[in-house]
Amino acid sequence: MIMPFRARAPRRSRLHALRELYHRFLGENTPDARGRRLLCEWLSPEQRAQFEQHRHFDVVGCDTGKRYRIHYGTAANVHEIDAGGHASMGWCFVPSGFLVPPDVMLAQKIALETNEKAALAIANRFPPAPDGTSVFRRPFRR
Amino acid sequence: MATQIVMDQSGDTRHEFDPSNPEALARAERRFRELTGVGFTAAVRTAPGEVTRIRSFDPTAAETLFYPRLVGG
Repeated sequence: MIMPFRARAPRRSRLHALRELYHRFLGENTPDARGRRLLCEWLSPEQRAQFEQHRHFDVVGCDTGKRYRIHYGTAANVHEIDAGGHASMGWCFVPSGFLVPPDVMLAQKIALETNEKAALAIANRFPPAPDGTSVFRRPFRR
Repeated sequence: MATQIVMDQSGDTRHEFDPSNPEALARAERRFRELTGVGFTAAVRTAPGEVTRIRSFDPTAAETLFYPRLVGG
């Protein structure tokens, strides 16, 4: 009676391992996970460290030298940062279409670092939240 | 191999091509013109974290990233 149970145990654990692998593969292959991988590849080491720790990173505008903080999100997620590190103005501009947050953030980084004035020209301004955080947030799983 | 990365709803779509193959290079250049023609911005990495926008096809770029036209949110 015990033997068949024992014989089945390794098969069960193999199945369990396979199921785990399958779920992990699915988790790493979602649009958001793919977007995060792409974003991390294109960030500088400092920006990547900042993003991994705080879910935001800073960029310097190529035309004005101003500092912007790009938060994880798809709208109203860019803040101009003053010398004291506080959000002084919000800028809302996004790539058209329905992109995942990391893709939106990467497009915003490239726009501010390579064509700041054009990006701000189309952006809508908004007052930042009093605590300087982004208004829009989505779950962020590592 | 070189790659053209196009941001889309799936995260991104990657088109790999052999830059030493004239036919593949021509296809990649055509794709570049089509995408930038409909408003996509093309960018390449020049150093870790350093990005440059390009307006014409760069056959030497290992990776070219395309993102859709920006709009005010």
